[in-house]
Amino acid sequence: MMLPLRLLLATLLIALALGAPSERGLIFNLDTGELCLQSAQCKSGCCQRDSGLSLARCSPKAAETQDCSLKSPYGVYYKCPCENGLSCDADWSIVGSITNTDYGVCYDKRDPTTSR
Amino acid sequence: MLRIGIFALFLLCTARGSQVCYDRIGCFTDDIPWSGTAERPIYRLPWSPERIGTQFFLHTKENGNNYQEISAVNSATIGSSNFKTSRKTRFVVHGYIDEGEEGWPSDLCKRMLTVEDVNCIAVSWKKGARCQYSQASNNVRVVGAEIAYFVNVLADQYSYSAANVHIIGHSLGAHVAGEAGKRRPGIGRITGLDPAQPYFQDTPIEVRLDKTDAEFVDVIHTDTAPIIPNLGFGMAPAIGHLDFYPNGGVEMPGCDKNPLSQIVDLDGIWEGTKDFVACNHLRSYKYYSDSIVYPDGFLGYACGSYNAFKEGCFPCPSGGCPNMGHYADKFKGKTSDSFVKLYLNTAEARDFPLWRYKVSVKLSGSSKVTGYVNIALYGNNGNTRQHQIFQGSLKPDNTYTAFVDAERKVGQVTKVKFLWNNNVLNPTLPTLGAATVTVQFGETGEVFNFCGSETVRENVLQTLTAC
Repeated sequence: MMLPLRLLLATLLIALALGAPSERGLIFNLDTGELCLQSAQCKSGCCQRDSGLSLARCSPKAAETQDCSLKSPYGVYYKCPCENGLSCDADWSIVGSITNTDYGVCYDKRDPTTSR
Repeated sequence: MLRIGIFALFLLCTARGSQVCYDRIGCFTDDIPWSGTAERPIYRLPWSPERIGTQFFLHTKENGNNYQEISAVNSATIGSSNFKTSRKTRFVVHGYIDEGEEGWPSDLCKRMLTVEDVNCIAVSWKKGARCQYSQASNNVRVVGAEIAYFVNVLADQYSYSAANVHIIGHSLGAHVAGEAGKRRPGIGRITGLDPAQPYFQDTPIEVRLDKTDAEFVDVIHTDTAPIIPNLGFGMAPAIGHLDFYPNGGVEMPGCDKNPLSQIVDLDGIWEGTKDFVACNHLRSYKYYSDSIVYPDGFLGYACGSYNAFKEGCFPCPSGGCPNMGHYADKFKGKTSDSFVKLYLNTAEARDFPLWRYKVSVKLSGSSKVTGYVNIALYGNNGNTRQHQIFQGSLKPDNTYTAFVDAERKVGQVTKVKFLWNNNVLNPTLPTLGAATVTVQFGETGEVFNFCGSETVRENVLQTLTAC
């Protein structure tokens, strides 16, 4: 009884996730610059604000050599996480993860031409 | 039916054929083509110069953040101000409802002063601009006459050549500039920032801004949709020597945000509310403002249409591309007889400049997958974000080409990075790579070739080096 229901839910979610990026919306699929509460709302996958008091807006993810922060369960960032394929070289710390300030710089760990 | 309509129009418009005359600037009629045509149905005479109260606020590097109010009527104010005849003079004229004392015209002046030594005069005619639209679009004639009078005083009393004068006008202000240029031949340059469409589009050239109004007329079109039903406020036809249509000229990126996000703007509620009402229309002076500090960030590509531009018209011809905005007058062939339409793309928020590259990717790998391909460019001037080149079915040995409007000019391209993804977990773990990537820079036409030998799994960056 439970299993088919879960399967149905899972397929629905996948269908939502796949069908989603085609058009922008009011609550999900938000464009860059639109107000957000959660990174999951943004097309770019990053909901960013400059300080604890400012409003959060969807922002592009950080490119290589730009500042970034580690993925955080808060879902709102002071500095966006890196684009796909890149790592944020920040060190994880308890204080940093609570205050959402595990900052670093995006880098490509596979790139032979970058010296690290 | 049409005749009855015309007759009704005649009855309505009792003021037709009348005329007003003012000191210094002469007479104004409401005869055709000024009123009583299909484009300008309501008969209006411009208000008096006193009622409009045109003001001139001078910004120079000596002033710092403060302006000096000067006047041509009392021309001693020019002599006692920081106005210098050794410098170029730029007038900045606002449009409907707007004002020039604070706000964007003075901001534009301040930004200009960071890159050049100039007499920048913000022109304010807010009393004449805050009234019914049909009245404001006739008050334009008086404001244009005031600026022409100002230029005449500069020429007569200070031996200042009109060729050193540049008038920048937004919306109705663009037609103010056109009127000034018509009355005072020989003005060096007029820049029309999205010239107003109602009461001006399809009218004779004496009514509106036109390429005959100055030695060089450049226009930025950002809101060319028809006023009915799309509420486009700007003129669509090319009217200058160089006509720029950024993003196609109809719908600007960053202007289709949801209302809350639009009004609660990064630059404040007032800026956001203005953008909520006329975002596309106001983009024209924002692009101009950014072009002052990014001389090469707004290259216009000559093309038949925006759709053709999206597919080609690349790279710039050997003579180079004209710059949209402040440096449009640097272009060599700027005053040709024909109308030149130029296209480019801009970013969705400040800073607006983008640099166009053409990127071709030849794939390698063993199996066909569905997904997207991203490319990031790296050069001696930094690197770009990942830009999507293609989305769909990815076949090895196929070549995919796209134009990338990069948010930065990377300089000499030294390497590129390739990434593919399909957002679906594939248990067969396919790998894909880029065998060759060719990058061409639009400004110079320079071509850079890159080769790769490996293939990578999804979401893994492959670095390609020059070959």
